[in-house]
Amino acid sequence: MTTAQHTQPLLQVNDLKQHFFLKKEKLFGPQQVVKAVDGVSFDIMPGETLSIVGESGCGKSTTGRSILRLDEPTAGEVLLFGKNLVNMNKKELRAARKDIQIIFQDPYASLNPRRTIRKMLTEAMSIQKIVPPEHQEARMIELMSLVGLRPEYLERYPHEFSGGQRQRIGIARALAVNPKIIICDESVSALDVSIQAQILNLLKQLQRDLDLTFLFISHDLSVVRHISDRIMVMYLGKVVEIADKHSLFTQPHHPYTKALFSSIPVIDKQYRKERIILKGDLPSPLSPPTGCSFHTRCPFATDKCKAEVPALRAITATHKVACHFAENLV
Amino acid sequence: MTLFILKRLAQIIPVTLGVTLVVFLIMQMIPGDPAIILAGEGASQETVAELRENLGLNKPLAVQYTDYIKNLLQGDMGNSLKNNQPVFEEITSRLPITIELAFYSILITIVLGLIAGIISAIRPYSLMDVGLMVVALLGISLPSFWLGILLMYVFSVQLHWLPVAGWDSAKHIILPAVTLGAGGAAIVARMTRSSMLEVVNQDYIRTAKAKGLKGYIIILKHALRNALIPVITVVGLQFGSLLGGTVLVESVFAVNGLGRMIVDAIRTRDIPVVQGGVLVASLIFVFINLFVDILYRFFNKRMDLN
Amino acid sequence: MKQETVLEVKNLQTYFYSSEGVAKAVDGVSFTLQKGETLGIVGESGCGKSMTSLSLLRLVPSPPGKIINGEILLNNTDILKLSDEELRKIRGNKISMIFQEPMTSLNPVLSVGEQIAESIRLHQGLSRKEAWQKAVDMIRLVGIPAPEKRAKQEPYQLSGGMRQRIMIAMALACTPDVLIADEPTTALDVTIQAQIIDIIQNLQKQLGMSIIFITHDLGVVAEICDKIAVMYAGQVVEEGTTESLFEKPLHPYTNGLIQSLPKLYEDQEELSTIHGTVPSPYNYPIGCRYAERCPFATDLCREQQPELLTVEQGKKVRCWMYSNEWQGETLMKELTV
Repeated sequence: MTTAQHTQPLLQVNDLKQHFFLKKEKLFGPQQVVKAVDGVSFDIMPGETLSIVGESGCGKSTTGRSILRLDEPTAGEVLLFGKNLVNMNKKELRAARKDIQIIFQDPYASLNPRRTIRKMLTEAMSIQKIVPPEHQEARMIELMSLVGLRPEYLERYPHEFSGGQRQRIGIARALAVNPKIIICDESVSALDVSIQAQILNLLKQLQRDLDLTFLFISHDLSVVRHISDRIMVMYLGKVVEIADKHSLFTQPHHPYTKALFSSIPVIDKQYRKERIILKGDLPSPLSPPTGCSFHTRCPFATDKCKAEVPALRAITATHKVACHFAENLV
Repeated sequence: MTLFILKRLAQIIPVTLGVTLVVFLIMQMIPGDPAIILAGEGASQETVAELRENLGLNKPLAVQYTDYIKNLLQGDMGNSLKNNQPVFEEITSRLPITIELAFYSILITIVLGLIAGIISAIRPYSLMDVGLMVVALLGISLPSFWLGILLMYVFSVQLHWLPVAGWDSAKHIILPAVTLGAGGAAIVARMTRSSMLEVVNQDYIRTAKAKGLKGYIIILKHALRNALIPVITVVGLQFGSLLGGTVLVESVFAVNGLGRMIVDAIRTRDIPVVQGGVLVASLIFVFINLFVDILYRFFNKRMDLN
Repeated sequence: MKQETVLEVKNLQTYFYSSEGVAKAVDGVSFTLQKGETLGIVGESGCGKSMTSLSLLRLVPSPPGKIINGEILLNNTDILKLSDEELRKIRGNKISMIFQEPMTSLNPVLSVGEQIAESIRLHQGLSRKEAWQKAVDMIRLVGIPAPEKRAKQEPYQLSGGMRQRIMIAMALACTPDVLIADEPTTALDVTIQAQIIDIIQNLQKQLGMSIIFITHDLGVVAEICDKIAVMYAGQVVEEGTTESLFEKPLHPYTNGLIQSLPKLYEDQEELSTIHGTVPSPYNYPIGCRYAERCPFATDLCREQQPELLTVEQGKKVRCWMYSNEWQGETLMKELTV
């Protein structure tokens, strides 16, 4: 996997927070907050694929949406090419958005059922004023062929396509404005295995051909292994581990990451690990545990874990963990 | 929840002001002078003028209105222009009758509506279902006074089964209650049917079948409880149109309730009575709505948290 | 084999009738289930695996769907021939089922304890008090702490993993002979999935029941199933023990499916894929239904549908490659017959 020889990160997220305030149920009760994303920081270099993995409620999808300001972040910075997206006004944000696009999870819900593919792509191009009207036709045909769809399909409506095809359309839409970075929010999770493989191959190929950068959000570690350069693991709104792919898979340090790997059913017996079954359920995001938010389920938890929040610190140059005992637990 | 209730109770003030103001203005705009009507035919100009002065009708409108509100805040609804009796007492003597009528009407609405809705939902698109839904459609479309007169004609005049009018015996309740409840029953039937059909397709009904539960238990215990939730709101909303309907039905059947009182008072331009009557009806409406909303929220806590 | 057959399905056909035509969702499916065995039925969406499982308990939505043919023998009684009354006695009692979506599969307005207890009262005739106590015991058995308190709660007060445990408790309350699990962990996080699979396996050992586990996740079946049936376009295309299936898949579809999974512990440059898409159930091709996507297809494949052949003890495959008439390339270096 080649990464471009630039030194500046394409995307920098600094201490991003997304807190949702709930409607007050009781008159004099406390204000309830869901800290969906609670201080997340990472960089993405041009040409690389960073994946965010975690289970439901960890905040990975919210992180993706907050970066694009689809939900307004409560705090933090999102620097795209050095410019902070968070405090841009509408006009600047719209211009910035042509560089960063998103492909959603549900191929059935993310396309407007009342628009033909042609209308949808034309609209995307016109809004960003990327392609002058006289070139739009040619560009659309080019996009369709890039994603492996026949040009006749431009006239059709979403309901006429299968899930895999719709996802290709979603990719075409994202590519229509020539973005530099694409956020894939569980983009293959709703697809059958054989279709998923097709789409993953397509994404990889497009990355090579168009020099794209990906932020890939998924709960499926096998998919993430295949497509990522680096991987970030989230739990209850925080980053617990971030490392390059090989390092993470050969030597996961955080107990949660280890439990996650061990839970995945594996076909090849030689790779099957002793299963670490986590006790209990995910704590309620309304009342997260004190100290390390994983301590309630961690087989190694100590008093220190209950009291102090572990910082995300570097174990090696490319591997960071948020655990007080990361070195001792390998 | 408490916050919600308090917020809604606070609405009573603007509702009261709004209703009284609107009624007052409308009454002023209707042609017809209360003094003239009261004085009767052939009364002299001086009698009428004197009457007007006594009734306070010569004061500027704004003053008449603010006087009314001032008195209202002290619990005084004024006196009837016609017979000088306190409006409050008029209302309290007739309100129970209307409430009784409304009660039986809602009973008919709920019972008939639910039964029809459930039967239709169990065998959708069957002859029974289609038949019931057509009848329901009629129930919604036919104006209540027309229906009332029709029922009166058939059951009282032709068949002599039921009395024509009045409110003295149990038999007297039947026709007015049916007339008033029919429209609501039709709406409840259709709502119950569609809600049941939706519920019956849910996964948890499939689970109930997979457990081997008997059919009637699945319908009554598992399906109905869920299906009724939206129906409750409909019934609550029905109460609003019910109050309006009492006006017509009481007139048709000569029942001495609040509705008829208001109708008569409008005819005689008896402004304080109209104001008092409509105000009381509005407040009842607000409270019923609040009650239904609370019930709905209570059930919906389950839904929201899903 | 010294094992006894608990369930035998022969030639099951479930079709769906609509204005678009006839969808042959399940089109001639046969398999057997031994006592204490876990059979996995795998396939991608639209292959008919869920409809197969619903057909076993005659839960197919019956205006559009209809079981038009077949036998489902539970200890030699054909379920398809039972009266409604007799069928109800089996459901939740001899054969139980758990579904994919624990969120929507439990009744939102009844307590979870009641949903378990009503099954017990119905099938085992216990009193309300006894049934409630047993329900609480079942909740404890599936590993939920404070079962007395939980039993009184309603589904919205429980997490997804807990709801699925309640579903399991409900299904096993009357110790059925067969548990049908239709994608029970697909909607759950992977760490919760691990917990649920653990519970199911433990309870199977304790209660000695047979399980039919339906899923699209090959990793899960690899871990928990003794035997696997692979479905494609309404038919079983391969059947065999778990080990032999993954070691040496016979059918090109099975092979293609296994190959296209991204490997968790190995790097791959490009994922191998199966090009093309599943044929529409309204319009299956005449010959082998996989022929249009199969790299080995010959004219024979396109013209005639292969039967499900027993290739070896316990191994069956629906593919012309394993018949004597075969003249094309093969998947394996040597034929397995």
